[in-house]
Amino acid sequence: MTKYGQAFVVGLQSNLVYRWNFGVRSLFWFCHLVVVYLLWGAAYAGNPSIGGYSFAQTLTYFVVIFVLQFFIGAFNEDYQISEDIRNGLINQFLLKPINYFAYRLSVFAAARVVSGAFGLLALLVALPFFRGYLDMPHDAWRIALGIPAMALTAIIQFSIAYCFGLLAFWFLDIQGFVILSMAVETLLGGQVVPLDLLPQGVFNVVRFLPFFYQAYFPAAILTGRKGLDFAVQGLAIQAFWAFFLVCLAEGVWRRGLRHHTAAGG
Amino acid sequence: MISFSHYLRIWLASARYSLVRATMFRGDLFIWASVELLWISVNVIMVAVIYSHTPTVAGWSLYEMLILVGTSMLIQRFLMGFFWSGIFEMGRNVRNGMFDFVLAQPGDPLFMASTRKLELDGLLNSVVAAALIIYSARKLGLHPGFADLALYAFMIGCGVVIHYSALVMAMSLSFWITSSQGVEGSYFTVMEFSRLPREALKGAAGLIFVWIIPAVVVSNAPARQILHGFDPSWTLGLCAATAAWFALAVLMFRSGLRRYTSASS
Repeated sequence: MTKYGQAFVVGLQSNLVYRWNFGVRSLFWFCHLVVVYLLWGAAYAGNPSIGGYSFAQTLTYFVVIFVLQFFIGAFNEDYQISEDIRNGLINQFLLKPINYFAYRLSVFAAARVVSGAFGLLALLVALPFFRGYLDMPHDAWRIALGIPAMALTAIIQFSIAYCFGLLAFWFLDIQGFVILSMAVETLLGGQVVPLDLLPQGVFNVVRFLPFFYQAYFPAAILTGRKGLDFAVQGLAIQAFWAFFLVCLAEGVWRRGLRHHTAAGG
Repeated sequence: MISFSHYLRIWLASARYSLVRATMFRGDLFIWASVELLWISVNVIMVAVIYSHTPTVAGWSLYEMLILVGTSMLIQRFLMGFFWSGIFEMGRNVRNGMFDFVLAQPGDPLFMASTRKLELDGLLNSVVAAALIIYSARKLGLHPGFADLALYAFMIGCGVVIHYSALVMAMSLSFWITSSQGVEGSYFTVMEFSRLPREALKGAAGLIFVWIIPAVVVSNAPARQILHGFDPSWTLGLCAATAAWFALAVLMFRSGLRRYTSASS
């Protein structure tokens, strides 16, 4: 097994220790879904469609967004990376033939396998309540394009979290930056409202930002909110952002190391 | 018996220390104030997008809803500003034994623990929430009299006490469980319901979040006071909920405190 495979296995074990945290998070997720259901249910009362989408389509969109967050969302990777830097734990990686980005990506993948399993469990619990309101399209191309879109989304999410974590090379406390970016990502990633409900002009700008591909894009493909042409174009833009952010992460890492003094290692 | 003026002097000293600290770390203050402002904006944008597709939600117009959301945010900003840091640190201090420091201080432990720090960023953003309420009231052509405003302020105070009590109860769990990390998430999840109009909650959700947990009453009661004038049932309901929740919080905190065994707990 390669060293990154080992990191993945160790990541699985350490994340299973925190299974209750994921369980509690699933419970919060269910409550949040109830809020979404009540709010949008009230908005749809008397309106058969909003922005061209039925209540079932919109609720399906939010359910998929939440499940995606469990499978491919970066939760606290930025915090873990910043702690490695602040506590000097990063020094051990500098002395070994390990690529820190690849190591962290392996741990991130392991964490998402565990949290994804809990997400699925939460979905199974929620399904009896929401089944009558869900409307998933069954086109094969949506799955075929949705899977690479999800993989690229995971890379984008991880790379952004990685870059924010590396800010600890320059700042003592990065929590403010992280929560600031979380607010932007939550809004422009489509977790608050489906982005296609924004005014067309705003939507046309937002679709070229990386946040668009953090949650909305794969959810829009899978839930039938966008067609084939849009999905193909979007995949190309998403691939560009994934590549750009990985390069940015490498650049920030190199610049950060120049600042690093390895104190406390 | 320690007098009110004694507590006031302690609180003023803590407030003065917090202000000095905030002005020393101006960059931090700016970042955290921006974080709070951005989260307020996220909520307002969500409401604006929904109402760009429908004239009413659960019978509430756009500006009525903004008063509700603004009221909910105002209460939360006051909680963040006056109590959040102190209560949040309580969980960590109980785990590592630092709570001894609070017990050694000259006053009630709950007061000393929860009023140690003032967060200026939360208080600054309460001005933004208040501005949102005033703007929406003007758009609706409302001209509340002095008595209406005084009652509204009183109800906001009740709301802060209920939020405070909910948070104290959540963080008091640290006396029983070894890790209360993420417990604050339960507070945020429950309080998400406070941004919903009462009419949107039906069935079990209505029973739980209106009658058992007063998340909806906290924001709906003052908002209705501004929109429709004095309503004895909402006012009395809010007062009763405030008294009951504060009593429960004090009871739970004291019962937890009896389990506290210093650094070894």
